[in-house]
Amino acid sequence: MAPSSSSGLTFKLHPLVMLNISDHFTRVKTQLSPPAASCATGNGSSNADATFLQNPRVYGCVIGLQRGRTVEIFNSFELLLDPTTDTLDRSFLEKKQELYKKVFPDFYVLGWYSTGSDATESDMHIHKALMDINESPVYVLLNPAINHAQKDLPVTIYESEFHVIDGVPQSIFVHTSYTIETVEAERISVDHVAHLKPSDGGSAATQLAAHLTGIHSAIKMLNSRIRVLYQYIVAMQKGDIPCDNALFRQVSSLLRSLPAAESEKFHENFLMEYNDKLLMSYLAMITNCTSNMNEVVDKFNTAYDKHSRRGGGRNVFM
Amino acid sequence: MDIEQKQAEIIDQLVKRASTCKPEALGPLIIEATSHPSLFAFSEILALPTVAQLQGTTDSVYLDVLRLFAHGTWGDYKCNASRIPQLSPDQILKLKQLTVLTLAESNKVLPYDTLMVELDVTNVRQLEDFLINECMYAGIVRGKLDQLKRCFEVPFAAGRDLRPGQLGNMLDTLSNWLNTSENLLISIQDKIKWADSMSEMDKKHRKEAEEGVEEVKKSLSMKRE
Repeated sequence: MAPSSSSGLTFKLHPLVMLNISDHFTRVKTQLSPPAASCATGNGSSNADATFLQNPRVYGCVIGLQRGRTVEIFNSFELLLDPTTDTLDRSFLEKKQELYKKVFPDFYVLGWYSTGSDATESDMHIHKALMDINESPVYVLLNPAINHAQKDLPVTIYESEFHVIDGVPQSIFVHTSYTIETVEAERISVDHVAHLKPSDGGSAATQLAAHLTGIHSAIKMLNSRIRVLYQYIVAMQKGDIPCDNALFRQVSSLLRSLPAAESEKFHENFLMEYNDKLLMSYLAMITNCTSNMNEVVDKFNTAYDKHSRRGGGRNVFM
Repeated sequence: MDIEQKQAEIIDQLVKRASTCKPEALGPLIIEATSHPSLFAFSEILALPTVAQLQGTTDSVYLDVLRLFAHGTWGDYKCNASRIPQLSPDQILKLKQLTVLTLAESNKVLPYDTLMVELDVTNVRQLEDFLINECMYAGIVRGKLDQLKRCFEVPFAAGRDLRPGQLGNMLDTLSNWLNTSENLLISIQDKIKWADSMSEMDKKHRKEAEEGVEEVKKSLSMKRE
């Protein structure tokens, strides 16, 4: 059901859309799960709900820009699926569209999204319903199942095309490839989210290790570049490559700026900051120790208090 | 870097003209090159065979001028003033700028006194004007003027033409830099391993302490029974 598309459009997806979809899915799932816990005591109707609650399908609309052959999907918002008629809530969509038009006058509805593992037949109805807003809407599908082995994003974009199947022209979903495009603000927030993981799982040591690993890779890159420069100049000296004086000049000016951090002012400041940090951690350690001592003494007192009370308070420790 | 890009076109033009024109015309060409306000690189012109031929002829003074501009300073000029023809004010200015570049090669912090002696400037105000207008606005140096300590800090200075011996020095410096960064990489890796092993030890210690507590609790409850 998903051969590749031949429409020639290039799709660019912003991370904001993916974050929105996953956030929508997570919210719905966590809001639904408390009733599941109470239902798990053996309510008959909960069995059907259980599979539904495992992975509720959420729906929404994606908006963006289309310039020529490039379709750029910038943002998305949530929509409710009307279970009886199996269509998306039209009036809400139109209201939201107006509101977004005021803030982003260039964007218009490019398509819709949903969660699940594969595109189904019922999705086609929703797709066709949207065709009156946009003659060729896109369908963004996010697979919420966490698969650690999978290296790329669980997001697929489908377009609809008319294919002749068994002599009957039908529209089916076809896969399209897409690229991720980021705005600077998106890059910062994605970076931030990606770095949240270590501080959850780790103690100070893993944070230190993560920080040091970052520095390590940065210095490794610097190292490889210096090595390239070195070998290039050695080759020029041996005469394998014709001498480029401009390069020599640039390298000599670069080398002249080394050592970059040698002056006494730097040493003074560095040592002062180092001492301050050591002092602070020492102070914190001392405070920790005294509070532990205090606890030990209190525990000792409470443990041996009963005995000493009979003796008239003679044997209290402190 | 930007200075090199600015110079690149001028150098190309001059090289083309120098290789196509007659030896007699080279003299004025050299004078023009040495007075051009944004040109600080002369080794391309020096490397041309037509220029090298000037060595034995009457025009060899121009070759000396070119060599002076490529490698020498204002001090050299004063010592050899007899051999070299009188320089125009543009050339004098350029030679002084090149002198600043040479001084910046050896130290990053240049005291005003040294600069005043080298550049033949008598008062600080003139020195500062010269440094600001001619050197920093031209883009050949970037730095900070420290009036209290009377020095000029230069974190960046454009490169001059290389003397033949300097290439070896450059290679040494580069290899030192390379070695230092490699050592740093190794010590960072060691630090990471240390941090990991310390956290392992800490966890073990904590577990042992908890196990001890559990045992004591069990033995206490057994005593009660």
